[in-house]
This record gives sequence, C-alpha cells and structure tokens, in this order.
Amino acid sequence: MNVRLESLGPVTLVIPQGRLDFAAAAAFQAQIEQVLTGPLARPVAVIVDCASLSYVSSAGLRVFLLGARAAKRAGLSFAVCSLQPAVRDVFDLSGFNRMMTVYADRGVALAQTASGPA
Amino acid sequence: VNERRISVPGQSVQLPVLTQFLQSFWSAAGLPPDEALSFELALEEVFINVAMHGAPEGSVPLVEVRVALDDDAVTLTIEDDGSAFDPLLLPAPDVTASLNERGVGGMGVFLVRKMMDSIEYRRVGTRNQLRMTKYIARQVSHAPER
Repeated sequence: MNVRLESLGPVTLVIPQGRLDFAAAAAFQAQIEQVLTGPLARPVAVIVDCASLSYVSSAGLRVFLLGARAAKRAGLSFAVCSLQPAVRDVFDLSGFNRMMTVYADRGVALAQTASGPA
Repeated sequence: VNERRISVPGQSVQLPVLTQFLQSFWSAAGLPPDEALSFELALEEVFINVAMHGAPEGSVPLVEVRVALDDDAVTLTIEDDGSAFDPLLLPAPDVTASLNERGVGGMGVFLVRKMMDSIEYRRVGTRNQLRMTKYIARQVSHAPER
C-alpha cells in the first residue's frame, strides 16, 4: 500500500492507495502518527481520503480507530471520506461509520472541515 | 467442482502468498472480482488469528487452505494443527460503542460471519477446521446462441 500526504492549509489529507491489510497496517499507523505528532507543522484537521483504498480488514480498522483516538487526544478533528464499496461494507458492518465522521467525498469533507470542527 | 489447495506455515508473513493464491483461483474460475474481497477478508482474518494465537510460543502451526467452487457457491476451508480453538465462540464486539470505549477484539471473526452465508467449525482429529461458504451472484455469462 502507498500513502500520499497533501497539505491544504491547516488540513492534512492522508491518501492511502491499495490494500490496508495486516501486512500494511503497521506502516500506515506509523504514517498517521507522524502526521498527528511528527516534526512537521501540526494540522488542525486530518482527513483520510479513501478514494483509492480497495480493501480494509480488522487490522486496518484498528489503525483508523487508533488514529481517530490519537487525533481526539491532540485536539484535532479527524474524518474519513470517499469510502469505496468494499471498504464501506466493512465500515458499515463494524459500526465504524457511526463511530467516526465519514464524508461522501473530499469536497464535502473539506467544506465541512473549513466550516468548523467535525 | 473446481478446487485448489495450498499449505503454508502459520506465520503472518505468509498472508500475501495466501491472498495471491485466492486471487489466482478467482480469476481462473472467472468469478466476479468484486465478490473476491469478502473471501480475501475471511482468509486474512482467520489466518492471522491462527498465526498470532494458534500455537504455543515457539511453535508454528501448519495451515492448509482449500477453495472450491460448486455451482454458485464458493467454499473456503482453513485447517490448522494448532491448539484447539473455535473462533465462533468469540463474543461479538459492541458495534455501537463510542470511540473511547472501542476495541477491535473479535471484529475480524464478526465481519467474516456477516459476510459469509454459512460458517462452521469442527475439530477434526488434531486439527481445527473452519469452513465458510458464500453464494456468488454471477452475471449470466453464457454467450447467446446464434
């Protein structure tokens, strides 16, 4: 799995591409932690754009859970957007779609994030 | 019935080998690609459980995976020679818990149960056997006769 980062002012977009399975989970978790607490300027909001994420397992869900929790502790807003069908199924079945903020697409996510904390 | 099998040591580094095995069965059988993901998830969740918890420290269970297509049903069977363990006895996670109360313990097996049409555990001799079946909605692929 590849992960791209994009900074849009105070918002950092984290863009995972490919499969978030057990093998990919540890590196993805490290990247999210880096964004939340690393040496670079800390964002006000983090949006994980899942438009190119094709697969997530429970090991991947755990990374979203830990990321959302760490963001909350750090006082940042944290959201995901653009869930593709297979990933959406997993979010729906696990209740993660109700537990964290999920936006339909990046445009909505950015608009909502700009207009106030999620 | 179209069936393939593979055996690997129960170590998490083997996961890509198993995913590849399933994907190549899937495309050779001409099954719809979207439907592969629930089986990839089932394979990952069950295999990783065995790899992480399936045997006493210092020993590695042997895992055998079979995948079979019979009419419109795909059956994935995962056997291991580790400690006796029925994953279907794991309590379901609370999917309504809030962010702070959440864990993901038991989530993998819970997702598999939701995605499969049937799932059964048996202890066969010295092996655990988990058998999962799902009916696949296949597009009508018969070419019209002229």
